[in-house]
Amino acid sequence: MPSNERRKQILKGLYDGVVAFDEDSVVEFSKAAIGEGVDAYDALMKGLAVGMEKVGELYASREYFVPELLLCADALYAGLDILRPHVKGGGSEESGKKIVLGVVEGDVHDIGKNLVKVMFDAAGWEVYDLGNDVPLDRFVEEQQKTNADVVGISALMTTSMLAMPRVTKMIKTRNPNVAVMLGGAPITREIATSYGADGYADNAGEAVEEAGKMVQMIQKGETAHN
Amino acid sequence: MKCGDPFDALLNHQKPQRVPLYHFIFGFCARNVGYPVASIYNDPLKSFNAQLLTFEQYGIDGGPDFGYASYGGWEFGGEIEFPSSEWQQAPSHGKFVVNSEEDLLQLRLPDVRKAGMLPLAMEFSRLQDKSGTPISVVLGGNFTIAGNICPVGTLCRWMIKRSEAAHRLLRLATDHIVEVVRLWTETFGAERVIPNIWEPLAANDIISAKHFEGFVFPYLREASEEMLAMGVKHIHYHICGEQNLNLPFWAQLPMGDPGLVSFGHQVDLHTAIRYFGDRCIIIGNLDPAVIQNGASQQVYELCRQCIEKAKHAARGFMLMSGCEVPPMAPPYNVYMMKKAIDEFGWYN
Repeated sequence: MPSNERRKQILKGLYDGVVAFDEDSVVEFSKAAIGEGVDAYDALMKGLAVGMEKVGELYASREYFVPELLLCADALYAGLDILRPHVKGGGSEESGKKIVLGVVEGDVHDIGKNLVKVMFDAAGWEVYDLGNDVPLDRFVEEQQKTNADVVGISALMTTSMLAMPRVTKMIKTRNPNVAVMLGGAPITREIATSYGADGYADNAGEAVEEAGKMVQMIQKGETAHN
Repeated sequence: MKCGDPFDALLNHQKPQRVPLYHFIFGFCARNVGYPVASIYNDPLKSFNAQLLTFEQYGIDGGPDFGYASYGGWEFGGEIEFPSSEWQQAPSHGKFVVNSEEDLLQLRLPDVRKAGMLPLAMEFSRLQDKSGTPISVVLGGNFTIAGNICPVGTLCRWMIKRSEAAHRLLRLATDHIVEVVRLWTETFGAERVIPNIWEPLAANDIISAKHFEGFVFPYLREASEEMLAMGVKHIHYHICGEQNLNLPFWAQLPMGDPGLVSFGHQVDLHTAIRYFGDRCIIIGNLDPAVIQNGASQQVYELCRQCIEKAKHAARGFMLMSGCEVPPMAPPYNVYMMKKAIDEFGWYN
C-alpha cells in the first residue's frame, strides 16, 4: 500500500492529467496506481472522474471547447483502459446505473452525443452507445435488453428532432419507468417536455446531473409531467 | 431578377420600399411542390423550379440557391448520402476520405469541373443565368469543408496536437474555395457571381475564438481577398450557429460592397448591426425551431421583433430564417414571414 501522501499524489496526477489532456501522464499515474496498490475504483472515481467533472465545468464556462474536451476524453479513456480491469466492485452512488445513448434516426451529427457519453463513462455509468442515425425501434430494444434507467437521445436537425416525440412515446409505452432525456442544438427544456421526455441537458457537463435527478424522480413515482 | 426587386435595390445601394424576405429554404420547397426532399440537392432543374414556385407563393425575394452544409466531403473523394427517409433533412456524410494523417498526405485538390456536386451546381447556375436571377455558388467555409473531408473530431484534435496537419487540410480547403469561385467567375462574369459561404463548424459550440483566430480567420480572409480580386462584388457569409465570440474576427473580413452577412438566432441582431451594419446587409435570424414548433402567432411576433430591431440597419436588412426553414414546418408558419413584412417591413 502506498503512503497516504503518495496516494494523494497519484490521484492528483490522474486529475491533472485529465484536465491538462496529458494522456502520457494519465497512463503513467494509472500504472502507478495499480503497481503501488491504490484501489483501482478510487483511482478511477477520485482521480479520473473528478478530473472529468472539472473538464465539464471548464466546458460549461467556455474555457474549454470541443477540441480540448475530446483530448481530455482521450486521456480519460487511456486511464480507464488501465484501471477498469482492476475494479473489483461498485460502491459509488452512480454504480450500477445504466444509460442507452444515441443520435436519432435521420441524423448523423454525433459530437454532442459522444461528449455526453464521455461524461457518463467518467461518472461510472454503464453506457450503451447506439451511435448515430439510430432507428427508433433500436432505442426501445436496447433499453429492454439492458434494463437501462435512462435513454438519452440527441438531434441536431429540425427534421430529425420530429422523431423524438415518437421514440419517446415508444419507449414509455413499453416501459413507463425508464427516464428519457433529450438534447441537441434545436432542443430546449420546453420542447423536451412537450415531446414527453423526463429531462433535458443543455450540454454534456449537465447531462449526468440531469440523469441522476430523473432517475430519482422516476424512483419516487414522479415524472416531469405530474 | 424582378423589376424593383428589393434585394437588387440593396445590392445597388438603394433603399428598397420594404424589407426583403430572403430565402434559406430548401427541403420545404421540394415538399411544397410534391418532389422528394433529395431532389432539391441532386436535381438542378427540379430544385430550381421548386424554389422559384415556392418563392412566388410565399413572397420570397432574390433567387434560388443550390447547396448544403456537408459540402466538401464528396468533392474531395468521400461519400455523401442524400436524404431519403422521413426524418432526414439534408445530405450527410457517408464516408470520410481522410481518417488519418497518412490519408491526408495523399489528399489532392479535386478538379472543380468534375468533383462531387459541382457539375450539378454548375448546371443550376446555368439556370440562374438563363432566368436572370443572381448567380450564386454555395460552399462551406474553409473550416467546414475541412470538417467534412475528415471527421470534425479529428480536425479538432489536430488543431491542438498536430497543428501542421490541420493547417494542411485548411490550406487545401481554402485553395478549393478559390478555385471554385474562379471557375464560376470565368463562366458567368465576376460581377454577377455571389459566393455564398456557410461556416457552421466554426461555431463556438465547437471551437474557441482563439482557434477561430488561428485556424479559420486567416484562411477566410485570404479567400475573401482572392474572390474580391477576381472582381466579385458581394460575398455572402452565413455565420451559422453560436458565433458571438468569433464576431470580432468576422468583422475584419472583406465581404464586398455591400457584403451580405446572415446569422442564426444565437447572434442578436443589434450585435450584428454593431459589428457589420456599416458595410454589410444584415440578414436573419428567425429561430427555425420556432418556425417548426411554435404557434403561428409566435412566429409572427418573432418576425416583428427581428424587423423592428434591424430594418434601419445602415446597409439594409433582410428577414430570413437563421438556419434552413424546416422542411416539415407548418406552411402557415412559413407564411408568417411575409405577413410580418407586409405589416411591419415597409419604409415610410
